[in-house]
Amino acid sequence: MSEMNNKIKELLIKSLELEDITPADIIDDAPIFGVNEKGEGLGLDSIDALELGIAIKDAFGVSFAVQNEETKKHFASVSALAAYVSANQK
Amino acid sequence: MAGKIVFAALSVLYPVLVYCGLTYWGLSPRRLSILLLALAFYQFLNFTRSKQNDGSKAKNGALVVLMLLCGSVAFFADNLLFLKFYPVLVNLSLLLFFGVTLWKKPSFVFRMANLGDKTIKDSPSRNYVEKYCDKVTLGWCIFFIFNASVAAATVFVGSDRLWSLYNGLISYILIGLFFAVEFVVRKVMQSKLNSYVPVSELERDSRPDGAKFCFDDSSTTTWKDFVTDVSKVRIFLESKENIPWIVHCDDVYFFLVALVATLQSGRKALVTANRQDAFIKEIQKENCGFITDEPFAPGGATLIQDLLKQETDEIRFGKFDLSKAEMVVYTSGTTGKPKAVFKMFSQLENEVQQQAKVFGDEWMTREIYSTVNHHHMFGLPFAVIFPLAAGIPFRRRRFDFPSELTNITDKKAVIVSSPAFLKRLVVDLDRPLVFKTTPFFLSAGGVLPEDVAQKTHDLTQSWTHEIYGSSETGIIAHRVSGTGAAWTPFEFCKLSLAENGCLNIKSPAVLEPEGFTSGDLVEFSDDGRFVLQGRADSIVKIEEKRISLPEVEMRLKFTGLVHDVRVVPMVSKRQFLAAAIVLNEAGREKFAGCAKLKINEFFRNFLCQYLENTVTPKKWRYLEELPQDLMGKIKMRDIQDLFSLPESPNFKILKMQREVSAFTAKLVFPATSDYYDGHFPEFKLLPAVAQVNMVLLLARTFLNAPKEIVKINRTKFTNPIFPDVPAVLKINYDDEKGKLTFSFTDESGEKALSSGSIVMKLSNMSSRTSDSNMSSRTSDSNMSSRTSDSNMSSRT
Repeated sequence: MSEMNNKIKELLIKSLELEDITPADIIDDAPIFGVNEKGEGLGLDSIDALELGIAIKDAFGVSFAVQNEETKKHFASVSALAAYVSANQK
Repeated sequence: MAGKIVFAALSVLYPVLVYCGLTYWGLSPRRLSILLLALAFYQFLNFTRSKQNDGSKAKNGALVVLMLLCGSVAFFADNLLFLKFYPVLVNLSLLLFFGVTLWKKPSFVFRMANLGDKTIKDSPSRNYVEKYCDKVTLGWCIFFIFNASVAAATVFVGSDRLWSLYNGLISYILIGLFFAVEFVVRKVMQSKLNSYVPVSELERDSRPDGAKFCFDDSSTTTWKDFVTDVSKVRIFLESKENIPWIVHCDDVYFFLVALVATLQSGRKALVTANRQDAFIKEIQKENCGFITDEPFAPGGATLIQDLLKQETDEIRFGKFDLSKAEMVVYTSGTTGKPKAVFKMFSQLENEVQQQAKVFGDEWMTREIYSTVNHHHMFGLPFAVIFPLAAGIPFRRRRFDFPSELTNITDKKAVIVSSPAFLKRLVVDLDRPLVFKTTPFFLSAGGVLPEDVAQKTHDLTQSWTHEIYGSSETGIIAHRVSGTGAAWTPFEFCKLSLAENGCLNIKSPAVLEPEGFTSGDLVEFSDDGRFVLQGRADSIVKIEEKRISLPEVEMRLKFTGLVHDVRVVPMVSKRQFLAAAIVLNEAGREKFAGCAKLKINEFFRNFLCQYLENTVTPKKWRYLEELPQDLMGKIKMRDIQDLFSLPESPNFKILKMQREVSAFTAKLVFPATSDYYDGHFPEFKLLPAVAQVNMVLLLARTFLNAPKEIVKINRTKFTNPIFPDVPAVLKINYDDEKGKLTFSFTDESGEKALSSGSIVMKLSNMSSRTSDSNMSSRTSDSNMSSRTSDSNMSSRT
């Protein structure tokens, strides 16, 4: 589980060319898009979401349905994303 | 007409006539009062016929009534006293006449002067002349008060004879004396006042031979020297075929001699501050000459000092045809080729005339010192052409160092300067500069930050006059620091808003009849003044979302932690914004010891209150100072290139400055840097290979150096570079020869750390070879560079 979390974190940093951040800096349960009330989160936007979706498809062969509420849940945090990818990976 | 003459004669002779009438002709005051009544009647006729304005009419009316009153009393009471009041009335009415014009300008004497000399109205010394005329008008008023008082005294105290003598003779002599004294004073004033002569109309006798033309620390050059030297250069130029001449002289006097000789001989002048071999060769692809004062200039250059050594008695100096006098002025350029701006000399002539009108008054009695390059469109008109046309002496060499100003505190100085110089001035000076006469500071080339203006004032007791203009349009508007952000247009400019909200300028210094539209957004107020609202290209689209870069910058400043900031648009896989920030003291304190990520998050979360996260900056750099060129301009391209270099944990750029083929940066290599791996873990030193790699990385990013190298020559590593101790890296790169030289020094620049030279492999492709993650500049028109050479005073 945490191995997949790390893979996702590395993929995030690489595919979105994030600066000043290492996998260790990313909180598993903090939001990927925007930030929570504690100010935690990567603060990414919808353009990043598309980019990340493509990167995950390339890396793990897991694709996402058209954007809907369900998809948003999967992108809620690194843990949620890792769970979805693990579950759908063939 | 005849009536007027009779009236004037009777008025002047009135005291004598009355005296003679009384003493010799035995006439009674009653009989004589008929004369006064006749004069009053004539005035009355004039009064009823006149179509003058109400003020003047009321005044004349009052005079008529008083004259009639005095005349009637004298007639009916047969009283001499009232008869003798006439001269008092005349003086009082003249006092009223002159006095009123002091309130309702222009003053009477200035009106007369304008009738006599129609050129005064538009002359650069108009203000000076007007002030003088006002003083003369005031002098007349005082004289009339005095004269009226004495005349009144003779009415009551003196004998008839004394009355007649004073009013019929002495007062006229006094008036004559007043005229004579004023005439002499005026001549003296005029001789002190340097006459303004347009450059195209200068003749050898425009100024006295010995008039001080310019000076340096030890010697003075006169008008005669100038005329002789221009002749020598003209004789040389006119012996050659008619080709354009590149003019570059660091010495302002040599520059002016070369420029005037070029213009007078009908040659086109190409004025450039950049004298790098490659650039000069580029211009010389067209057939043209090169005149300079630099002994080591590229081959074929004519050294002006050599021309001036020639002995000749021939004087060739005189007017030239403005309609044929052409110039090209090269702007400072960004990193690529400087931009050529075509100019008719008449544009400059018109611009300088306008300057003289606004500043002439204040400057006529001063000397001109400059800290800016006179080959550019601010230094050229202000520090070179203006002194020539106005006959104001100037210093031949510009000041490079703020400390040099301490040598001129006893002078009456105009200091032509720039924000870059003033920024250094307020940092370098540790104590106030006490000038004997408050200096006149001018600044252009960029916006003068408020805190610098304030500190300059604290140090020199003078508020800086800022000029807003551009290479294409010349001067546009001016303002005095410390009086708000609004700019006052120069009178000769017709300003309007173009369709895109940008400023459009029509003026005698702009060639295009439709005017020149700048890239500056402005907002006008009702009084015709305006404020700058940023560059038009400062509004960009990030993934279809419009955002104003100044707005993001302003929001960041609202944190109270930011001293200076620039936000730039970037493109890699996507479009995004990036922010280069200089923290202020509060910011440095707050973030001391913080991980960079935490600082980024702080600013990002702050901005999220106001902006969508698509347009919040994605990348951040924290510097000691924003990148700027020698002129103090902050260029978007420099900042974009800064971001094109991916952030590395191994080194930090604290400051940088890029010129055409040189790059300087203040760097620091943290102890955690990978560069130290495997080299003395206990005693970390930056390895030579890391130093060379650093040089190559920066040369490729900022100077377009190629990727491959041929060889490394002469490299010396004199002193070690320690972790967390800043070092200054200077790189020069000649892209024709592929030769790169570098030097690392300590922060002060005094202690050499290492140096060397590298030969790069030149490919046939001249285009930039860079890593994919470096080529982040955009071709999207929405995101085009915010840098503009045309913008002398960039964003506020």
